[in-house]
Formats: sequence, C-alpha cells, structure tokens
Amino acid sequence: MIYDIRHVTTYSYESPVSFARCTLRLEPKSGDGQELISHSVEIRPRPSDRTARRDFFGILTESVVIEVAHRNLRIDSKSRVSVSRKPPARDASSPPWESIRDIALEATSLGPASPVGYVFASPLVPVLRPVTAYAAASFAPGGGILAAAVDLMHRIRTEFRYDAKATVISTPLKEVFDNRHGVCQDFAHVMIAGLRGLGLPAAYVSGYLRTIPPAGQPRLQGADATHAWVSLWCGADLGWIGFDPTNDLLIANDHIELAIGRDFSDVSPVDGIIVGSPKQKLGVAVDVVLVE
Amino acid sequence: MGAGATEGSGQTGRARLGQRRLAQWVRDYSRLPGIPDEFLGPDGAPRAVWNRFFDAFGALAPDEIERRFAMADRHLREAGVTYRAPGDSADRPWSLSHLPLLIDEADWQQLSAGIKQRAELLELVLRDIYGEGRLVAEGALPAAAIAGSPEYLRPVCGVPPPGGRYLSIYAADVGRGPDGRWWVLGDRTQAPSGAGYALENRLVLSRAFSDLYKSMNVPRVAPFFEAFRDSLRGSADRDEPRIGVLTPGTFSETYFEHATLARYLGFLLVEGDDLAVSDNRIHIRTVAGLKRLDVLLRRVDSNFLDPLELDASSRLGVPGLIDVLRKDGVVVANMPGSGVLEARALLGFLPALSRRLLGEDLKMPHIATWWCGQKSARDEVLSRLDEVAIEGAYDRFVPGFPSNGPVLASELDASQRQRLIDAIGDRGLDYVGQEVVRLSTMPVWERGQLTPRPFVLRVFAAATPDGWAIMPGGFCRIAEQPDARAVSMGDGARAADVWVVSNKQVSTATLLPATDKVRIRRVAGVLPSRAADNLFWLGRYLERAEATLRLVRALGSPSGPNKGTSATVQSSERIQRLLVAWGAISQASRATPARITAEALQSAERFGSALSLVRAAQRTATSLRERLSPDAWQVITEMAERLAYEVEDDDSILSAAELTLQELASFAGLAQENMNRAAGWRFLDIGRRVERAINTTRFARQFAYDEAGDEDLDILLTLVDCQITYRSRYLLAPVLAPVRDLAVLDTYNPRSVAFQVATLNEHIAALPSLKEYGLIERPERLAVAVQAMLATAEAEKLEVKSLFALEQDLLSLADAIGSHYFPHGPNASRPEKLTGLA
Repeated sequence: MIYDIRHVTTYSYESPVSFARCTLRLEPKSGDGQELISHSVEIRPRPSDRTARRDFFGILTESVVIEVAHRNLRIDSKSRVSVSRKPPARDASSPPWESIRDIALEATSLGPASPVGYVFASPLVPVLRPVTAYAAASFAPGGGILAAAVDLMHRIRTEFRYDAKATVISTPLKEVFDNRHGVCQDFAHVMIAGLRGLGLPAAYVSGYLRTIPPAGQPRLQGADATHAWVSLWCGADLGWIGFDPTNDLLIANDHIELAIGRDFSDVSPVDGIIVGSPKQKLGVAVDVVLVE
Repeated sequence: MGAGATEGSGQTGRARLGQRRLAQWVRDYSRLPGIPDEFLGPDGAPRAVWNRFFDAFGALAPDEIERRFAMADRHLREAGVTYRAPGDSADRPWSLSHLPLLIDEADWQQLSAGIKQRAELLELVLRDIYGEGRLVAEGALPAAAIAGSPEYLRPVCGVPPPGGRYLSIYAADVGRGPDGRWWVLGDRTQAPSGAGYALENRLVLSRAFSDLYKSMNVPRVAPFFEAFRDSLRGSADRDEPRIGVLTPGTFSETYFEHATLARYLGFLLVEGDDLAVSDNRIHIRTVAGLKRLDVLLRRVDSNFLDPLELDASSRLGVPGLIDVLRKDGVVVANMPGSGVLEARALLGFLPALSRRLLGEDLKMPHIATWWCGQKSARDEVLSRLDEVAIEGAYDRFVPGFPSNGPVLASELDASQRQRLIDAIGDRGLDYVGQEVVRLSTMPVWERGQLTPRPFVLRVFAAATPDGWAIMPGGFCRIAEQPDARAVSMGDGARAADVWVVSNKQVSTATLLPATDKVRIRRVAGVLPSRAADNLFWLGRYLERAEATLRLVRALGSPSGPNKGTSATVQSSERIQRLLVAWGAISQASRATPARITAEALQSAERFGSALSLVRAAQRTATSLRERLSPDAWQVITEMAERLAYEVEDDDSILSAAELTLQELASFAGLAQENMNRAAGWRFLDIGRRVERAINTTRFARQFAYDEAGDEDLDILLTLVDCQITYRSRYLLAPVLAPVRDLAVLDTYNPRSVAFQVATLNEHIAALPSLKEYGLIERPERLAVAVQAMLATAEAEKLEVKSLFALEQDLLSLADAIGSHYFPHGPNASRPEKLTGLA
C-alpha cells in the first residue's frame, strides 16, 4: 500500500520570537516492511541555517536556525511511503519470554538495532516495581513472548482510559499508571516500562495511522495526529514486532513508522528552543491518504 | 638526637619531649581490631614517616598546637571555604582535620604508577566504545554493561572529541586494603570534584605548620595545576584561548570549588546562561558583546549540558552545545559521555581490558566486583549474599532501594532481603556485588589524643602532552562511621590534606618554580554580562545599606532629631517616611518609635533594612567569589554577622551602625585600592555611584525642600557627610541655596550628585561600545544629559520639582545601564522550550 502523508506543525506566539533553534525528525523510516518514496519539509519563516544528519537511531535529524523575528512558525512535512507488512497471528507460537531476556544480553553491538539498548530505564520510562508487577501478570513462567505481550497490550487497552486532556508530555509515567488514563504516548510508555521491568527489550515507535479506515472498519484512535506504539524484540527469528496498545493491534499495513528510539524523548518530531515568547500555541494536523 | 648532644640543650630537650608524647599517643591509640592502620605498623610501632612527623609535632607545646589549629580554622573561615550538602539551603563551613595524611614517597610512586596506567586504560576504552566499538563486537565487554549507564550518551557516539581526548582530568578513590596495597574503590571520569578543596587544604595546613611542612620535604601541588592549565590551553586551536569553568551555579554543592579553580587557574567562571551558540562555536555573553570561548572545563554533568539533545528539562546547559562538538567548535573537558566509565558494572572487566589494550596487567587492584548481568557472577553474589555489598551497577543509586550507598543483605529484614534477591533475579543487570574490604585507618586529633578513623583518598591525574601528571597529594575524606566507602562530604565528614613525604630534599625547582605561572592572578580579559550585573548590584546594595545606616544614625544620634523639640519631631517624621518608603521599617512600626532604629538596622523581615541589604550584597558576592579578594569577602561576612547580632539599647544600635559604616568604608577602600581598573571595577563603582546619586537627590528633596529650616538642612548635611565642608566654607548656620549647591551641584564635593554623575560619565565612556552605527548609546545619552543639566543649574532655582525630575532621570539611567550591558539579566531573554507534541 502507498500512502501520502501530510504532517503540519504550527506554533503561534504571543510576542515576536527573535530566534529559534529546532530539531526536526520528520522523515519516515525505510525498512522493516516499509519504503520511503519521497519526503520534503517546508519551513516558514525561512531558516538561516539548515543542516541534516542521521542520529544514533538512524533518524534523519534536521537542525534548523531561524533568525528573523516571527509570530508564527509553520513546518510542513510531506511524505510518500509504501507499506507491506505481514504481522504474525496474535496466537502464533513464539519462544518462552525468559529466553529472550537472556539472549538479549548476549548481543555484541551497541548499535540502534541491538536489543540491549532497550532493556534499561530511559529518560521518560523509569523501571517501577508496580508497573513491572502489573506486566508480570501476563507473563506466566515459560509462556511464549508473543502471546504474553499481546495479553499485556490487550489489558492496557481495556483497563486504561483514552483521555486526550488527562496528560501532557511531562506527565510522569507513575501518574499515568496510577490513574490508568492517558494518550497513545502514555500507553506506549507504560507497556514499555512493564516489559523492561521484566528484562525484555522494548522500543518506542512514533508514526502515523491511515486517516480513513478500510471499508467496514472503525476509525482508529489517534488517526488525526501523530501516533505512538511499542516495538518488542521477540528473538532472532521473529525480530522486532510492533504492538499498538492504544488500539490493541499488532502493527500491519495501517501503521506508518516515523522513528524508533528508547522513548518519546529520542524521537520527538519537532523539538527546540526559542527566544522571545514564553506563551505559545501548538497546532498539529496529520492527514494520511491511501494512494493505492 | 645525636649521641654527643649536650644534656639540657633546648633542641634536645624538645626532641625528648616529642618522643615522650609520641609514646603516650601511641599507647592511647585504640586501633580498630583487624583493620590496618596508616600510623602504626603491624608491630604497633609508628611507621617511619609518621615518626618523623610526630617527632617535630610533639615538640610543640600543647597550647602552641592548639594555637596553630585555631589558626588553620581561622584561615578557612576567613577564606570562606564552604561546602553545601545536598538539600542544604546554606553553605556549611569546611571541616578540615588538622593532621595531614602522610604517604611515603616510595609508596606514592607505586600508587601514582597505578593511577597513570588506569587513566590511560580508561581513555582507550572510551575511544573504543564511542568509536569503533571493537571491544563489544569482539566480546571483551558486554554491551549491556555500557548501554545501561545513563551516561552512555548516544548523541556523541562517533563524534571525535575536539582537542583529541576524552579525559583531561581523572580521579580515583583509593583506600589501603588489608594486604597493605592501595585499592581502587571507584573511578571518577565525569567531572571529578575535590582538586580545588585539596588546594585550599594545602594552603591552610602548610601555613599553620609551615616549619613542619618544609622539614618534611613535601612536593607542592602548584606544578600539577600548572600542567593541567597548560594542557587545556594547548587543546584549543588558537594561541590565546579563552577558557571557562562551567558551573551549575551558586546552588551547587561544590560551587566554592568551581570559583576557587577559576580564580586559581585564571579561567572564567561561567554558567550555561552566560553562553550562546553562534557560527558553530560557543560564545560568552560579555559587556562587550559575544566573545568566542575555546575550552570548557565542565562541572556540570553530561546529561544537563544541552537541552536540545540531552535532558530537555535542563536549565544548566547550552542549547546546541552537542552540535558544536560535532563541528569541532569547542573543547569540553571531560568530553561529554566520559562518565559512562564510572559504572561499577565495568570494574570486573578492566583487568582483561588492560591486558588487551595496554598489553600489561593492572598495576593496582580494585575492589572485587561482580556484575549480576552475567549468570555466573549473579549466582556467585546470591550464594555469598551476606559477604558482599550490593551497589547499583551504573550510578550511586541501588534500584528499588532508597539508600544512597551500598545495601548490605545482612542488615535487611526477611521481606526486604527477599525483595533484594528477587530484584537481582529479575534485573540482575542493574546490580553489582562488591567485596567488603576493611580499609586502613589514619590518625585524627581529638581532645589532645590520636584516634584512628577510616578514610578515602581521591587521587587526581591530568592529561598532559607528556603523559599523565599526578597531583602529589590529593583529597582525603575521613569517615565518622566504620565503613569508609560511603564517605561523601555530607554529615560530619572531615577532609584532610595529603603529604607525600620524601627522604630527600624536594628539589628547589619544585619548591620554587622559576616561573610560577599559576599564581599570577590576572583579571580575565572579558567580563561576562552576568558578572557585570552582579558587580553592579553589589555596589548598589552596599551603597543603599550605607544610606539606611546614615538615616538610622541621624534618627538616633544625640545631636539628631530625637531631642524632642517640635521642629525635630517633624524632621524625625521625614526620616521615618524615607525608611518606610525604602522598606526598612513598616508603617505600623512607626507607632513604637523606640523600635524603629532597631528594625531599620536588623530586621530580617524588612527587605530594606541594613541587614537585609548587606545579606543581599553577600548573596550577590557569592556568585562573584572568583573576582573578590578574600579581604573583601571577609568584610561583607563580618558586616552581615554584626547586623544579625541582636542589640537592644540605643547606644549599641548606634555603635553597630557606626561600625558597619566603617566597614562599608573599608570595603570601598579595598575596591578602590585593590581592584584592577578593568571593566569589573567600573561596574561595581557604577552601581555605587548610581545608587548614591539617587539617594542623595532623594535626601535633598526631603530635607532641602523649598521652605526647609536649618534643622532639616543640618540633617541633610549629616546624611551626605558634608558638615565639615559646609562649615569650612560658610561659617554660618545652614542656608538653603548653599546647602543645595553643596549636596547636588558642587562637582568638587565627592558626595554630591554632580560628582557621581561626572564619575558615571567617565565610566560609561571607558566601557566598550556595542553599537556599529556610530550612534550615541542610551546610557551615555542619559548620563550626558543629566550632567549637562547639573552643570547649568543654579542652586537658587533648584526646586523640589526639579529635584524630583532629576531623581526620575537617574532611575532611568540605572535601568538603561541594566538593559544595555546585562541584556540577559533582569530583562531576561533566556531560551524557552518549544511545547512538545503529544
């Protein structure tokens, strides 16, 4: 399937901003069942400096400096991506989860794909005993990793309430967990914390969902904004498998991956600092259209 | 004690006394059973170096010993050496044990060789893990032992360190084990602290015991700092590099040390807010605009260095710093990410890494450590749980346990113990087990006796073009509890100086280096805006305190308005109104006149009281520590102490005010006589002049109003310190026009408004200009205008109205100076984070 993605971020400031230094991670990734066909980002006002590099996780990272006074910043990202993924069945057989924990530690690489980078606490995902205990209920001794993780994902979907107003980026994981509510990013972080608490390698994925669902299917939660889910390393044979706890789905062809990191802080699509206005209004619009 | 010494000669007598007292100290020294000791050997006799030391020390009369200890303490207090424990709101005085730790030179050589080797090894390991990654790829190092550290910084992977190396300074905590060898307890590769405190300890102790210090042939620490400084200079890519010590600020535990190092090494003390990224370089905001900074010696932990790429909530760093590193635009020492090697998880692998990378065995053992991320080690730890200490594998926290130090299974109850076992079973990779080693003790002086105490010694190594240089000595911390490994400078811990003792005379080159460059303390070439801002306010606070004190004096002096006549009741009203407007007393307090002077002098609640103003000056001075002389600092501290000391009767209030005024004068004298006539001095003086001009104008408006009588004019003359001048000129009772002229317009009177404004104009003209278009700048425009007004005014026509206008102009001038030279100060344009996306 081929998608056209439009991702527009706008900031409006109360008073003029004289300087901005931004980091953009807006290029959808290539690989793991998807190919990037084209990508462009337009920024207004025009930056005085714009350089791109691949960061540690392989994400195209643009550093942008804007030095003209402005009250509005608009970042317009357009991408075309083809997706072709075959997820395993939810009840497919898989290795016992404890073995994954041990194998992950045998990795002989510190690179971005090495599971060893994803078993530890990260800036936004602490390892907390209650969260680990919550996850452990899905992981019976000797259970297959896939089925156990599907069960955990299902429990988060049914036991947590989706509430776009309940949390912000800085809401700590513990609060999300205690209150059992949040948005896609929170659900992903909770699931990751539970998996890592058990010693399992879990990554954070930012991305998009198709806006109009296939005929006869319900529109998914998070389809009009950027979305987030979890990637779990399930052993050398299965590799990394995507779990969407917000929608209780294994990732297939309705999800488009933008970037993968340890948590949101590694993949934040637009980040930066400005000089001039403490008051700001953020708008994000995402449109994902099926081309063919 | 030569055999032929004459009985009774003074020298021999004292030496005998020394030996007798040493014998007594040895008898009273209660060694901890089974623990080795520095002072006494296994045979119970003092070791040679200590014998030499105590021979001389014991020959000092008991009261002489106490006198010298007191002298050392006084030096520390006067130099304002402080430390702030985590959670403290105020600095605590430095606690120095009065006896140094002595280390025999041969012993020291071995220790040094071990530290040098270790520093080199760690540098090579860093190069590999942030570079090629062969150690992990070839199985010499488990990936998880690195990946688990919060100090493994992914944004700098593959970024070669500007300047060529990861570690510029390295420190190891060491202790002596039961086998008599020195053991490494931990590595400090991030931003090791303690070198500056070691320097202060040495300064103080070598002064208090200068004869003893010289006779023991102790090598000096100055050449070490010199080598370190030269090496940092050499790492920059231009000849006269600008170097900054990056501090988290005055709230840091070790801020004092940052200031000490900056001053001693001749570097600028900077905070993240002082720095800005421009043209792929780091710049410092100065009163003369942005200036390039070449090298940063950082005392800020890596993760806080750049909110754009590291901890986004950090307010301590510089947005864009990591990108500048990527572009080779600044040297940061140590390279961000170096702290990864502090992880205990790595310790067990270092012996093999040493053979692999250096081709030799480690010269110094470290404390046996098992990383529970590996099954065999985990099993080992679980099987010997009561014999090991459990520590966090990556930082000082033990995950899941609140303690800030090792967890000892033997001290846990059954449920806690099971929790520990489960935690190690579930996530063993977060834990290490460490052998519990009984480290040696050293003597401390307590109530005339020697008492053994455990200690940890921190040894410093600096990278130089000729290899690693070791500081001869180090930073020694003495524990009050039996386990030395938990020692931090927290509760009750003492520090000690460390003397390496040589049998030979220390070479004169070391004792008196031909060019002791480090000791030259020249004002650094540029003045950061923040420092200028603080100097400006220091000047203003002190001047305002002076004005308040003068009002207190005028109110309470026997010749002042308290005489009780009706006219003076009116004058007293005026003074009180000024004090209320100033925030020195509350309106309500005016009902009880007896308390007014005390309140204006020392109320901690009133922001305008003399005490509050001096404290504000003290806080401001704290962030200028590297720029103020110890004398100046001491004067401010003494004023704050005096004003805080509660006084009751009028006489003591007046004498406190009087003494504080004298100290203010001596501070002004110190500034005038001792400060370099660089921009810093100018800003201190600008603050003082602006404040004095404003206050004098206000006084003139209050007491030289259009119908003022001679009582009020008399008070004005007292307030502006012009009684003598006036009387010598006019030989008559105060008359309005001459008094106004003297207080406001007379440029020959150093306390007049006109004199302050003329001085302000000189300062402003001498300061760097920021504008490129040849236009006159706002502070200069305002100052010139005020000066012209004063020059052309006539005393007879100087009405209250025009005095009020003058006061407003002066306030605008003060604001204009602030926004012109300190644009990041009160008129902050500090960067804000963009709102993140949900």
